Amino acid sequence: MTKSYRAFSILLLGAAALALSACVYMLSSSDGGGQTVFDPPREIDPADIVVPEGYRIEPVATGLTFPTDVAVDGAGRVYVIEAGYSYGEVWTEPRLLRIEPGGRTSAIATGARNGPWTGVVIHDGTFYIAEGGALQGGRILRVEGGEVTSLIENLPTMGDHHTNGPAIGPDGWIYLGLGTATNSGVVGVDNAQFGWLSRKPQFHDIPCRDITLNRRNFESDNPLTPDSGDRAITGAYSPFGTPATAGQIVTGDLPCSGAIMRIRPQGGEMELVAWGLRNPYGLAFSPSGELYVTENAFDVRGSRPVWGTADVLWKITPGAWYGWPDFSGGHPLNEERFAPPGGPMPDFLLAKHPGQPPEPAALLGVHASANGFDFSHGMGFGHRGQAFIALFGDMAPTVGKVLAPVGFKVVRVDVNNGVIHDFAVNKGKVNGPASWLGSGGLERPVAAQFDPRGDALYVVDFGVVTMTEEGPIPQQNTGVLWRISREGIW
Amino acid sequence: MNLHKSSRHTTALVLIMGAALLLEGGCGSARRGTPVIKPIETADARVKRGEIAFYRACNSCHIGGATGLGPALNDKPLPGFLIRFQVRNGLGAMPAFSKAQLSDAELDAIVAYLQVLREKEWPEEYLSVQTD
Repeated sequence: MTKSYRAFSILLLGAAALALSACVYMLSSSDGGGQTVFDPPREIDPADIVVPEGYRIEPVATGLTFPTDVAVDGAGRVYVIEAGYSYGEVWTEPRLLRIEPGGRTSAIATGARNGPWTGVVIHDGTFYIAEGGALQGGRILRVEGGEVTSLIENLPTMGDHHTNGPAIGPDGWIYLGLGTATNSGVVGVDNAQFGWLSRKPQFHDIPCRDITLNRRNFESDNPLTPDSGDRAITGAYSPFGTPATAGQIVTGDLPCSGAIMRIRPQGGEMELVAWGLRNPYGLAFSPSGELYVTENAFDVRGSRPVWGTADVLWKITPGAWYGWPDFSGGHPLNEERFAPPGGPMPDFLLAKHPGQPPEPAALLGVHASANGFDFSHGMGFGHRGQAFIALFGDMAPTVGKVLAPVGFKVVRVDVNNGVIHDFAVNKGKVNGPASWLGSGGLERPVAAQFDPRGDALYVVDFGVVTMTEEGPIPQQNTGVLWRISREGIW
Repeated sequence: MNLHKSSRHTTALVLIMGAALLLEGGCGSARRGTPVIKPIETADARVKRGEIAFYRACNSCHIGGATGLGPALNDKPLPGFLIRFQVRNGLGAMPAFSKAQLSDAELDAIVAYLQVLREKEWPEEYLSVQTD
């Protein structure tokens, strides 16, 4: 073979690979991590998980139903919350559990049918729990001696996303996240599929400050009437079936949608910290006391689908607007890159933007569902100052198509440069949840939390959620609490 | 025209396209990307800059260089100039990146980083699972 022939072959090979790469998204069907069949019981085998050299991972408790967070008290006792609700409209009893030796659990407190409980923290001996509020509105609950009271309630989180957090700031305030009602500002058929539109037909997003709308309305099927040919026209920040007008001012209100807020542990008025966040799920303070938040970015669904948006780790600047519903990761949505293949580019909903969104601290995978996280504070575990983020994993095809499973692992992020490294990930020829790989490894990590000493990282694994075209099918009693520690340290 | 030579070229083309199809499907390729056990350690400043630029511009669709929203980048024999062409012009579902979004120097660094990623195969013992 001559040199020129060899060069020609290499060039052609590269060009062919390039051309096929270009076509592969269009031609392929979705292959998300939930697009599999689950055959119970869930196998648990830490040997199926890779962690870095010098670390080990082991299960602490199994058989949990929709666990979402963990907290460790000063005496080293470990507590887990079970959400009481999962996407897929499955309701169970929210519970605060203490993990006993051997992995047994004892119920410390239970909640109302108003889940999902999304987070728990211990502060001065009291538990604070974020109650999602799918039926009655979000709450921050206080649990003392097994008694449950509300610190704040009626938070506007009865839609797609819920009340999240909480985190205790260095100022002693409780910080919480409020998710938006919708994917991208417009109530649509997708919200009926979530289940809440028929329950709360007047519910919609609420801005934190006054905004002015563009004249942009969206026509869709009307799932609220039995006539299959019935259509509805809906504007942004409006109830389903209510159009917006050009120049319409929507009055800001508190509490609002897509925001970080804070409240003192003893109660009182809530304060707005930041807004313009779609679903600010995880909140954590860095060793230097700065607040960071994970944001679940847009889906390719509903009346205003947005394509290719990365989940974001943000450093929060008090008072800042982070871009929802018109920006993603600091980029305006009126760029071709955000148009679904074959679909229209999203127009701006707001006539004037409240500001220029900040630069992200890190960009995670599209549809990775970057959720609960914590910073390594101590030297015992290593990687001090880096963020350890639980990636719940894609919910394709409901959220949009992916070519392979995205997420389903724990990553560490250097917040100074945005570089991401896998930290706990399943073995196998490709990445994916254990149920997809046929292994005993991680399923859907939803929270990562260090113990108070900073020696061990607890990983809350929500359990199996398979996906169909109709939506999620969560599996009860498949949740696991994992613990990662340095070899030789227990 | 030399028919024998033409036939040889056609055969080569078919083989090359077939090989490309196999590469696209990931057939026969080991798992690659940022290894968990020992992250990439390099003294090459350009590779380090490329890693940072990769995580700002590429990773969200090509997770650690592997398949995600977009196809894998770490298992294809793409020469640097073709990577640069695709990034600047976009192709299929992939958007184009302007020089304002990604400078020439950053793009060169990403190419250097991708070459390192491509060489990082996962150890064989991590490719199989224990559970039956």
